[in-house]
Amino acid sequence: MRKSKLVRAMTGLLLALTVLAGCSSGGGGNAETGGSSAGEGGSEKVTIKYWRHDNDVEVDTLKQLIASFQKEHPNITVKMEIIPYADYETKIRTALAGKGAPDVMGIDGPNVAAYAYQDAVIPLDDYFAKDGDLDDIAKPVRDSLTYNDQIWAAPLNDASVAMFYNKKMFESKGVELPSKDPNEAWTWEQVLDAARKINDPGKGVYAIDPAWGVGAGEGSAFVKMPFIWQAGGEILSPDGGTADGYLNSPESKRAIEFFNSLYTEKLAAKELPPEAFETGKLGINVSGPWSIGGYAASHPNFKLGEDWDIAPLWKDAKQVTPNGSWNLAITKQSKHPDEAWLFLNWVTGKEGAKVWYEKTKNLPARLSVADAYPELKEYPMNIFVEQSSSFAHPRPVSPAYPTISKAITDLFEEVVLGGKNIDDSLGKAVETIDKAIEKTK
Amino acid sequence: MLPPARIPEGGNVMNGVNAKKPSSRLSYLRSEERYAYAFIFPALASLLVFVFYPMLQALIVSFKDFNLISPDSEFVGLSNYIELLKDRDFLDSLLHSFHFAVVVIPVQTAIALGLALLIKRKTWYAPLFRTVYFLPVVIAIGVASTVFRLLYNNDFGLLNTILNAVGLPKIAFLSDPQAAIYGVMLLGIWKSVGFFMIIFLAGLNNISPDIYEAAQMDGASPWDSFWRITLPLLNRTTAFVVIITTIDAIKISGPIFILTGGGPAGSTTTATFFIVEKAFEEMQMGYSTAAAFILFVIVLAISLVQMKFFKTDVEH
Repeated sequence: MRKSKLVRAMTGLLLALTVLAGCSSGGGGNAETGGSSAGEGGSEKVTIKYWRHDNDVEVDTLKQLIASFQKEHPNITVKMEIIPYADYETKIRTALAGKGAPDVMGIDGPNVAAYAYQDAVIPLDDYFAKDGDLDDIAKPVRDSLTYNDQIWAAPLNDASVAMFYNKKMFESKGVELPSKDPNEAWTWEQVLDAARKINDPGKGVYAIDPAWGVGAGEGSAFVKMPFIWQAGGEILSPDGGTADGYLNSPESKRAIEFFNSLYTEKLAAKELPPEAFETGKLGINVSGPWSIGGYAASHPNFKLGEDWDIAPLWKDAKQVTPNGSWNLAITKQSKHPDEAWLFLNWVTGKEGAKVWYEKTKNLPARLSVADAYPELKEYPMNIFVEQSSSFAHPRPVSPAYPTISKAITDLFEEVVLGGKNIDDSLGKAVETIDKAIEKTK
Repeated sequence: MLPPARIPEGGNVMNGVNAKKPSSRLSYLRSEERYAYAFIFPALASLLVFVFYPMLQALIVSFKDFNLISPDSEFVGLSNYIELLKDRDFLDSLLHSFHFAVVVIPVQTAIALGLALLIKRKTWYAPLFRTVYFLPVVIAIGVASTVFRLLYNNDFGLLNTILNAVGLPKIAFLSDPQAAIYGVMLLGIWKSVGFFMIIFLAGLNNISPDIYEAAQMDGASPWDSFWRITLPLLNRTTAFVVIITTIDAIKISGPIFILTGGGPAGSTTTATFFIVEKAFEEMQMGYSTAAAFILFVIVLAISLVQMKFFKTDVEH
């Protein structure tokens, strides 16, 4: 029997629709609105919705802080919703688009400017001036959250990374150990020299993983950007208006060349197995305070001080370390910003920050917390604390940051894995970034 | 198939013994029709609400400079589309999708048919192999991709350990931009071939054994039987398999997200991955929606061409 052309066309259309539907299945927002005012007469009952990503220790700490907060403010209920890390940004962005955003949201430092530019969060200057102890927050952290001269989020903690090295490997090859003094960081040349001595790919041992592999993602960008800053380069102009003349400066180019040389010399592996450092397959790694507890839990026989040690992150023309972590912000959609601030300040204020440090052991963003604990002035935490107050460089504060971050990891990937010409790749990255900045002007 | 009965307004179309009480017959058919619409309604409504309405909205968004989280957006006409056609990354991503499709469609279809022919034989071990080949289909793609990530590792993965042991060069599926897309293809084929094998098996079982017997009597070799009987009579099954494989191949995304993350050096960034990245990572909703529509038009065109190609006038 003959099928009409129309039927065939319709079938084709439907098949193609299937494809499109497959692409767009992430849509649809959460229609619930945050907060409800139920009480008439007496103190108003308020519900604050708070979204964050998953992390067992941090979530437990927050539950404790929420309980104490609700005891202090019986009229306010905080409803925390945990979203898997991988889905977090997508979910929060769809919720913001669908007018179903929570009152308080967890926000990664470098994304603050993008959310602020899009009017998704509100500035906190007035709140901080009232009772937020803004001066107590380390300046590099404050800078990383400041866009258009206003501050848009309150930090839960800071983050920094240092050079983790396999002490036994160094000793067995007769390599001098790096200093533990945060002011005596090794230079790139010293690191390169040690790496050449401990490298042994034949035995499945690689010398160094300079920046968490050569992949995509914010973590990857977080540890790669410092190479550019260490060489004396920058990613954007001081006003954030362009990458041209900065990302493609001779200094930045030198950083990429050095990074790439670690791979061309086969001191670094393009692929590493999971847990390479803890299992003795990797000599030098970068990591943060979270790994101290992490290694102790997962590999109790791999002991700090015996098998491995921590030295300050390497330097070149400058000593520069990355900074910034997760923060809390109040969304513009919130109907109860004042109550939301009470909660924000309870968690991130001087007292809350102490609880946060005691429980999570994350690097504090508040100077008063760093002062309150003697262990933060001793090895190994002193390295991170000192770096975060003296050598930290915020990632570019720009509404185009999501594109910038991807352009940077793409740049490293193209050069190291794709074997592309460095000048061409730098040129492409600058073009991509400038195009994105242009759209936000 | 008969066309649905059409009753002219007030007319009597029944000219037989049943035509005694035309009005009640008519109202019976009318109520039938009403029921038919009632049955269609839920499907139609959900299509309209969840597919066509969002598509219409998406079409509008594709003409806007639309940021995912921003309430304000302005019409920019065709500029998203024009920019996309000049965007090297987008064109590359289309190229990667087609590279994937062009290899996977014939290879996977041939393997699926081959396996179906093998397990069709009535042996005691055929059910075992049927299960083994089908097993990957029921494994979650996330799990499969994670396992393949470990298998593919350059220095420590099982695959390269075996290649090394038999004296073959290593393949860096995860860090060599030339090889990576083939790593994804391998995973994709391993994952879906079992499903299409079952479809082919059903098709093969529909071909009457009499035809083969007759051919054998006439002195046809198994080779002749395959080309002159099996393949032509499987035409509709093959059409189904090829079209579905094409769509699956062009919208491949699951393994890319977990196995390669679009890398190394963007070599496995397919069109769908590009669209998701632009929309949710870089928040350029208008731009990525326009990209989705370009992909839509391409897939539509391919599907129409394929249907014309597989069109057959013979009903089996």
